[in-house]
Amino acid sequence: MSSIKEKFNQISPSEFFYSNRDLAGFSNPTRSLYTAVREFVENALDACDQKGILPDVHLTIKAVEPEKPDPKPYILTVKDNGPGIDAEHIPLAFGTVLYGSKFGLKQARGMFGLGATMAILYGQITTNKPVIVKSSVDGEIQNQFEILLDIQKNKPVIVKHTTKEISKKGLSVSICLEGDYSKAGNKIRDYVYETSLITPYASITFDDPKGQKFTHTRFVKDIPPPPTIIKPHPHGIDVERIRRMIVESQFEIPTIDDAMIEKVRKDLGLSLKNLSFTSIMDKAKKKWKTLSRQVRVVIALMSFLKMDFEKLNKIKIEDLDIANKKLFYWDFGDSQSKSVDMDPESQYYKQLTNTVQGEPLTTFLTKRFQRIGPTTAVKFAEFAKFKPERRMGTLSNQELVQLSDSLQKFEDFMAPDSSCLAPLGEEPLEKGIKKFFNPDFTAVVQRPASAYSGFPFIIEMGIAYGGEIKSGGPHVYRYANRIPLLYDEGSDVVLKVVNDTDWGRYKVKGDPPFIIVSHICSTRIPYKTAGKENVADRQEIERELRLGLQFLSRKLAAYMSKRGQADMAKKRANLYAKYIPLIAEFCTELAGKKKEPNYKKILEENAVESKKSVEEEKEIENK
Amino acid sequence: MKTSKKEQTRIKERSKKADEKQKNILEMLKSHGATIYDDLDNGQFPKFSIPSRSVSNIVYDKKLRQYILGNNAAVRSSRNSAQLRSFTQLMWLAFFANRLTHEKKSSTLRDVYYSSQAFAIEFEDQSESDNIIVDLEAVTSKPREDFHIFPEERSSIFGDLNIEYTIPGYEGKTMNLSNHPDGYSIGPSLTTAELVDTSAEIVIAIEKGGLFTRFVEEQIDKKFKSIIINTGGQAPRSTRTLLKRLHEEMKLPVIVLTDGDVYGEHIAMVIKSGSANAAHLRELTVPDAKWVGVWATDIEKYKLPTIPMTESDIKRCYDLQKDPRYQDGIWKKELDVFLRLKRKAELEAFSKYGLTNITDKYLPQKLELAKSL
Ligand SMILES: Nc1ncnc2c1ncn2[C@@H]1O[C@H](COP(=O)(O)OP(=O)(O)O)[C@@H](O)[C@H]1O
Ligand SMILES: [Mg+2]
Repeated sequence: MSSIKEKFNQISPSEFFYSNRDLAGFSNPTRSLYTAVREFVENALDACDQKGILPDVHLTIKAVEPEKPDPKPYILTVKDNGPGIDAEHIPLAFGTVLYGSKFGLKQARGMFGLGATMAILYGQITTNKPVIVKSSVDGEIQNQFEILLDIQKNKPVIVKHTTKEISKKGLSVSICLEGDYSKAGNKIRDYVYETSLITPYASITFDDPKGQKFTHTRFVKDIPPPPTIIKPHPHGIDVERIRRMIVESQFEIPTIDDAMIEKVRKDLGLSLKNLSFTSIMDKAKKKWKTLSRQVRVVIALMSFLKMDFEKLNKIKIEDLDIANKKLFYWDFGDSQSKSVDMDPESQYYKQLTNTVQGEPLTTFLTKRFQRIGPTTAVKFAEFAKFKPERRMGTLSNQELVQLSDSLQKFEDFMAPDSSCLAPLGEEPLEKGIKKFFNPDFTAVVQRPASAYSGFPFIIEMGIAYGGEIKSGGPHVYRYANRIPLLYDEGSDVVLKVVNDTDWGRYKVKGDPPFIIVSHICSTRIPYKTAGKENVADRQEIERELRLGLQFLSRKLAAYMSKRGQADMAKKRANLYAKYIPLIAEFCTELAGKKKEPNYKKILEENAVESKKSVEEEKEIENK
Repeated sequence: MKTSKKEQTRIKERSKKADEKQKNILEMLKSHGATIYDDLDNGQFPKFSIPSRSVSNIVYDKKLRQYILGNNAAVRSSRNSAQLRSFTQLMWLAFFANRLTHEKKSSTLRDVYYSSQAFAIEFEDQSESDNIIVDLEAVTSKPREDFHIFPEERSSIFGDLNIEYTIPGYEGKTMNLSNHPDGYSIGPSLTTAELVDTSAEIVIAIEKGGLFTRFVEEQIDKKFKSIIINTGGQAPRSTRTLLKRLHEEMKLPVIVLTDGDVYGEHIAMVIKSGSANAAHLRELTVPDAKWVGVWATDIEKYKLPTIPMTESDIKRCYDLQKDPRYQDGIWKKELDVFLRLKRKAELEAFSKYGLTNITDKYLPQKLELAKSL
């Protein structure tokens, strides 16, 4: 898949986002500096992930005038070793809002083609400096752009474009923006640190304005398999989506002009020859499989008109009346409207109805959705009370709503395909947790894929206790699509689930040293805001989080009770060592004996027992 | 004074009896110690069973006419880490009691609490050590006095009674308990002394020190051939032991004179049939003791000045109504009258009719009445 050029689409103007920049996380100099860092680092990681490159990301923040008090202008640079962007696409990718390559249905950090541009926009508004983008897609030539944004027109203005020779692939973005590092510094360092936990296969360095360098070297050598683009799942698709899909599936009757006729000739391999109508039809039948849809429609029309290319040149199709099986056309020669009947038994008739009325329901479902085969499609049609052969183009608005409702309600669809998701995996997650926290106990789980509103998602979670973890837990580390979420934790669904848990039930008491890591992967994370900081509580997501956390909590409880038992055994052994000798002393005098009884035996036995449970405890950790 | 030969053999016999008792106690402690010693020596955690003193195991024995412990017993094991501490404390106490008994030394509950600290045995407070002492009583079915552990409270005795000490340093010494008009305090030396002889024909136990003094002054001991005992409120266990011995060894009847209220009534009842919190012991009761007053009915009969009962007096009445011992006889009758009157009268109330009214009028009537009770 990675060899196919990512598709670029342009969808909407930037004015809206200029007035709504708060939503995107650019509300003040502190937050904006942090958000800008995130957007560029995430773009770099996304780009590397998509091409299966082990990321090396370098982040630099430098004050323009170090002596000035905060807030003040900073230069923020993020450099990666990813695939880069073609020179022709750079101005669009970085100079327009909602221009991106990640709209297809698969997991990525960025989503709306919005992040980088918003950061650039913010920089430009606060410092009036252009963004500098340096990109090399081949590791030989580097394109350097200085770009300003025309906010009114949602258009890039190229200030400067140069090229130079270079020896490395990758992209670097640099902007100048008003920021407050003294306040944002903590969050930015946390962000880099936590990112390296969930991206253990990346090396990230950070040079901060005070001259400190933070280095996080990769400790996992394999990139998790890159996600694939997939069709939507029928559950929870909405009417708007269906309408758009129908439009995509429908096909206009092509205008039959010279160019079109030329194309048909070429495709049939008849560029030079002028064949009779029947010979043309024979040729078309033989070549049918290789013909494009447009060409097939033209052939179908010809079959009813019974015309060769020459005659075809002199008419214009007026209307196709499928109900009355009539084809109307304007004859330029006679200057009048004429019609021919269409034989409904003819296969060409079917071709034309398909074109005009759209695909039959069952075809529409099987072709455009994942998890629907022919049998399921027919069963579904029955459930939704539609004829399986019903043409999509003929559905009324009300029927569309009915179809959309039924798609959500029908329960026999298989769970959504999760190949579009890229969870980190239990092993690297566990490795990361162990490296970062050096705990006494770790457990991780990856829940099976599930879906909300037709979007697949996977929950990964980890729990760790003791060791170097500071007390006062649970400390919750939230991630979504490999992005750490650091702000607005109060309203997040993960926190809600954690806070609902009665930890006493799992033998976790007092001021416990433990952490919880949660990672939600989805083609669409239901963020509460465009600032991507907290996840809304969708019922399905909440459920999976609960199940995941319960599973881990039970493991933790088992560990805790072993740990408790070991502690108890140790305590008991100490008690025996303290009291048994006293008992021996007293009963010796009571019994009127001189020599004390040999109580060492029970003390030794007990020491062995308590050692045994300590070992068992260790064993559990190692599992 | 020359003691006759007969007298001498009697003294010898008596001290032999005391020695016997001590020997028994020591034997018993030794055998408990030996069991535990053997367990340890065999590599086993020692344990023993101890009668349960929970409310559900305290039952009233009609035949014995006292509260006793039922058959529930709990095992106290040194393997159980929750019991290990109290196990060790009890072992220490047995060890300590053994020393006391050997050396014929006495100590108080408070002494025990402090002595423990010399042996790395921690008691959190005295109530914890007191509790362990009750445990030892329960395990051995012997009162703590047998192990030379005595309470602080003292009551006193006066009357023509000859005793002979058995405590070290006083062995063989005798004393007549009518030589000193303030009376003799009932402590360890008196409770362990041999009761030699008496001219008295009855024991009068009174609740209050003031009345005790009055009785001595009025020579009640001579007038009514009696031994007078001041219980000082609820009778301490040493006093109850002494009452029992006077009744059993000297064959003296015991009557009890208390304030005319529900607490007074119960003081008499405890002398007669014990208290629930000493249900593990059986040597503290005088089942034939008689409560002769002040009764509720006396309040009306003798037109005594009264004071109203308090809330807690009334509550106590209702509590006692549930006690099996208050279900019949004067016990029930008087309790009911108290509840009806909702008033009470103290022993001193008789002073309204003259200071000696109680000894001149009331007591003789009651002594007469006691014969028919
Ligand atoms: N470092 C990079 N390397 C390669 N391509 C990039 C890089 N940064 C951004 N892009 C491209 O520019 C597009 C726009 O980025 P952005 O505005 O952040 O939107 P989004 O990340 O939501 O797609 C991306 O979709 C991606 O195709
Ligand atoms: Mg982005």
